Amino acid sequence: MPDVRRPGPEFGPRRSRVHGVPLALLAAALCASPSLAAAQTEPTADPKPAASEGAPPPADAPPAPPTTEAGKPADPPPANDGAEAQRRAEAGDVKPAEPKAEAPKAAEPPPPESGFFLGSYGRVGAATDFRKRPGRDADIVARGSRLDESPYFELDVQRQDYWKTTGATTRAVITLGTSAPLFHYNADFNIRMAVRNLFLQANNIVTKGLSAWVGSRMYRGDDAYLIDYWPLDNLNTMGGGLRYDFANGRTFIAWHAGLNQPRTGFFSQTVTRTPALNQVGATSVNILDRQKFITSLKASHIVKVGETAGVKAVFYGELHDIPSGQRETEVKGTFQTLPADFGYVVGAQFGAFTGRDASHVNLFIRYAGGAAAYGEFGTPFQLAPDRTSAGARELWITLSGNWETGPLGLMAAGYFRSFRDASTGLDYNDVDEGIIMARPHFFLSEWGGVAVEASYQAQQRGVRYQPQAAPGQPIPAPTNDPVMGGLFRIGLVPFLNPAGKGSYSRPQLRLIYLLTHRDEGARSMYPKDDVFSLREWEHFFGVGVEWWFNAQTTYGG
Amino acid sequence: MNLSRSSAAILGLVVAGLGQAGCMEFEDPPEVELKTNVADWREEIIYQVLVDRFADGDWGNNFSIYPSAPGKWHGGDWKGLENRLDYLDELGVTTLWISPVVKNVYTDAGFDAYHGYWAQDLTQPAPQFGDLAALQSLVKAAHARNIKVILDIVTNHMGQLFFYDINGNGQADDPLNQSVPGTPNVVKENEYDPTYDVRGVQAETSLGESGLAPIIFAHDPASNHMPPLPEILQNPLAYNRKGRTYNFDDPDQLVRGDFPGGLKDVNTELCPIRDAMVDAYTRWIELTDIDGFRIDTVKHVENGFWRHFTQKVRQRLAAKGKTNFFMFGEAFDGRDPLVGSFTKNGNDAPPPADELAKDNACVTDGVPLTADMLDSVFYFPQQFQVIRDVFRYRGPTSNIQKLWTDRTANYGVTPAQGGAVNAAGQGVSPQKLLVNFLDNHDVPRFLFTGAGMYPEDPIFGTPLALETRRKMLHNALLFLFTEEGIPCVYYGTEQDFQGGNDPGNREDLWTSGYNMEAPTFQRIRRLSEIRRKYPALNKGDLQILWASDRTGPNDPDANVFAFERTGGDAGDSYAIVVINANIEKEGSPEFGGQPMQVGAAPGTVLVDVLNEGGQTYTVTNDGRLSIKLPPSSGAVLVPESQR
Repeated sequence: MPDVRRPGPEFGPRRSRVHGVPLALLAAALCASPSLAAAQTEPTADPKPAASEGAPPPADAPPAPPTTEAGKPADPPPANDGAEAQRRAEAGDVKPAEPKAEAPKAAEPPPPESGFFLGSYGRVGAATDFRKRPGRDADIVARGSRLDESPYFELDVQRQDYWKTTGATTRAVITLGTSAPLFHYNADFNIRMAVRNLFLQANNIVTKGLSAWVGSRMYRGDDAYLIDYWPLDNLNTMGGGLRYDFANGRTFIAWHAGLNQPRTGFFSQTVTRTPALNQVGATSVNILDRQKFITSLKASHIVKVGETAGVKAVFYGELHDIPSGQRETEVKGTFQTLPADFGYVVGAQFGAFTGRDASHVNLFIRYAGGAAAYGEFGTPFQLAPDRTSAGARELWITLSGNWETGPLGLMAAGYFRSFRDASTGLDYNDVDEGIIMARPHFFLSEWGGVAVEASYQAQQRGVRYQPQAAPGQPIPAPTNDPVMGGLFRIGLVPFLNPAGKGSYSRPQLRLIYLLTHRDEGARSMYPKDDVFSLREWEHFFGVGVEWWFNAQTTYGG
Repeated sequence: MNLSRSSAAILGLVVAGLGQAGCMEFEDPPEVELKTNVADWREEIIYQVLVDRFADGDWGNNFSIYPSAPGKWHGGDWKGLENRLDYLDELGVTTLWISPVVKNVYTDAGFDAYHGYWAQDLTQPAPQFGDLAALQSLVKAAHARNIKVILDIVTNHMGQLFFYDINGNGQADDPLNQSVPGTPNVVKENEYDPTYDVRGVQAETSLGESGLAPIIFAHDPASNHMPPLPEILQNPLAYNRKGRTYNFDDPDQLVRGDFPGGLKDVNTELCPIRDAMVDAYTRWIELTDIDGFRIDTVKHVENGFWRHFTQKVRQRLAAKGKTNFFMFGEAFDGRDPLVGSFTKNGNDAPPPADELAKDNACVTDGVPLTADMLDSVFYFPQQFQVIRDVFRYRGPTSNIQKLWTDRTANYGVTPAQGGAVNAAGQGVSPQKLLVNFLDNHDVPRFLFTGAGMYPEDPIFGTPLALETRRKMLHNALLFLFTEEGIPCVYYGTEQDFQGGNDPGNREDLWTSGYNMEAPTFQRIRRLSEIRRKYPALNKGDLQILWASDRTGPNDPDANVFAFERTGGDAGDSYAIVVINANIEKEGSPEFGGQPMQVGAAPGTVLVDVLNEGGQTYTVTNDGRLSIKLPPSSGAVLVPESQR
């Protein structure tokens, strides 16, 4: 699904009566996570690239899997068979792999491969709820399980060229994304398609390790795969950026600046006017036409731990700026000033990885203030009295990881999120929420195995719930506290991995059964007559498939 | 990297972040502690507010606002009102009457429910004004400044929530063409607002009538044309279903017909409906600690309902610690006996025994009903006969005398049991608690340049200059703030708003810039100070000293009126008020060379505490007082010893 935050349920949340697990516990659990990262062992000399950064990743980047939209992970870390660096170079990875200090100096790698590359991310699912209705996403939090997500795919076309004259490499990337519904479901011969990437990046310009890109681009770091989210940085802008990879191959800094203009009245207003020079008819005039300017700065460093493992630290910041503007009021010819707005993000990521398989753990902390609290594509709402987003804030603390050994694998993720809009006092849009989720894999053979996914999620909103009175009885008072709902879910997922075993091994064909228990508070978050407002137990049974084939080896080989 | 240090730093970040995120909890519990916040309602000065038009404090609840159209939402809310309490404090008002708070039909036939009188859900707050927390916060902040709050409620009708399916086609037809048998005529009817029929609105096809028309509740969440709440109001029997009233002199239409505009008349004669109304509206008091009700359209509801409603509300609130809860009704009518009839408590005008017995059949808590009804009413007859006819039309001040003389007969003398009391806890007669006003949201503002504001031909003449009209307003305000009863100021009066009939009289206050230096603001502030300072002016008994039939240019007392107030709960406090409502000439309460006789002892020196200079006047040996007032002016005289 597109990387916009899922809107919350529409109506009437109330306090959880069944699952009383306070979010504070979840947050406290998350607070304990840094020690996990700190306890990892030696970094690998040749970890996974963080492909979604666009620029070639450092050779010893952690094995965080995501790359592009919709949770498309970067390839799982390959077995460290010693030939990886060579394979990467042969495949055109313009970032030189870090030479191993104890190894003899390698021969100069051949120039990157030139040509067209095709890739794709996709997921498709078909499911029922065992009650004659379709299987449906049951999450109440913004980011929940991806097993019940709707179909989505990306088509990735890239052109890479090595320019002998300068030694530079350029790569043009075109990514088209399409979401459900699909023709074979509703017989509608239409699709909704978005250009998710359209940029060109030049690597090793002027000096080795310096790259630049210009265009329209998803711009991201590592994701938390299980919840399909990029907890630290997840930008969609048109603009450009620079990145410099230090010679050690474990450190980079990246800067980006871009613009976007969500299609809302907050950013633009088009009115009709009589054409100039006494022409007949009507023409459009943009009265309000302001863009959101976003610039980001990121610094990443990896400390090797042993032969293959490492720990990673990322520091990140964004500035958002929206200039003032004017809009025409409902009284034609009169205008209203919209004040300038501003926002910022500060965040950090701490991770650790083994480098021998896809085992890793990442802790993300992100705090956004002002306009940035609404997201890079967001339109500020519930404004402050001065009609700005001053005072809005959002905190995300996310923990994500994977551990594999022998026939066992364990993916886990969780987050705590607190959002307050700019208006004073609590309202429906003020949210505290979180989820903890684990998906253990039992690999029965190279071909596949069985996964179990268990999760608990809870959400609290800044409104009270009004219980209905029994006929003839006094109307009760609203609930004392902000409404809170929670749901437990457990799922059984037999799967096939034609590419061999591994938590991140794709393609993966799945048979999915999810059982969800929704408490009274969670049910209250759905409007009247929605079956989710009535059902305590929910089934989801179906089949699903997920794949990612990267367009070229720069994305991970 | 020092891992332990980095871990500590991370933990610190997390903790700091969580602290910044804050805990989600409401400041107040849903049900607040109820208290009695008023000593004596006669000491209060009410300020009436249309919430949508007063101040916009939260852009987050500006749903579909259209500020340039008087009939649409403009964005005012409870937060805005709370933010401007200092403005009200400065003005000197002590009680805030806020427009209805319950969730309304949002918009209907191109007009919005910004006024709050089109209820849909009596259990939920109107989201355009905020949430319960915002309402609680407003009341709490007001109480912190010793400003009381009165809630406007409607029990007579709900919004336009259903239509009569007269032709049985399941849709709301507008127009519905109905042929008139035996004639070539076709009557155009509207299924949302059909004409009153004493039998109930009849279903009808080309073959003739076919019994009571079924009603169908609309279902449009976008405009909130949704089935009403509480759920009992979804029962068709909860409504009289007789169609739109067109003759207010017909008692059945008056009480059982729909209010014009398709507002559905609730069948308040049903016991469960009476209990539901008590419960729904008392609950708002329990949620907020609001101090009184202003009750809409009381003449459209039978007296039995008022006996049940007022007494059960008082009893329920008293059991939770709130007494002196003030309930005054609105009957938009100039007929003094009718308006006053809702204040006849005790043995003032007891209902027939069988009627009271019928009312008591609805009582389930074992506490029987008495004849008591309201504490007070909105004094509409005075608005017509005095404010309009004397102060705007410059009629004789004997009008005032006649109206007030009739008060003893037309209004209740017996306080409602458990109703409004004085500081000693003794009941206060409704006659002394009438809510006086110059204008409100249903009549043109005093300064409106309509009838009465033209010295000559109202079509070809020019209206009086604003300065002249303002002096007239200031004089009327003097009358309002010094007469017996409780003064009520309609928002915007202090800023010289001049709007005409609804919705022209519902301007946005923010266009004034909340100017506290405005001359009328200053006038009201001064009058508030005087009224609060001198007990005679709020609790003293009233004696008319001078009223005149004369309005001629050569009459010395043309348009002059004077009264004194003392005694009652005011003790020895004493004040004389003299008003010259003539806009062209000096006036004096005297005729034939005889000045007015006053109650103050001979030799008493009285000082004018209203006007600058503090001019003094001495009561003559024969108990008379001479005073001459410029056009459109007045004076408040108190003994120098009490100054």
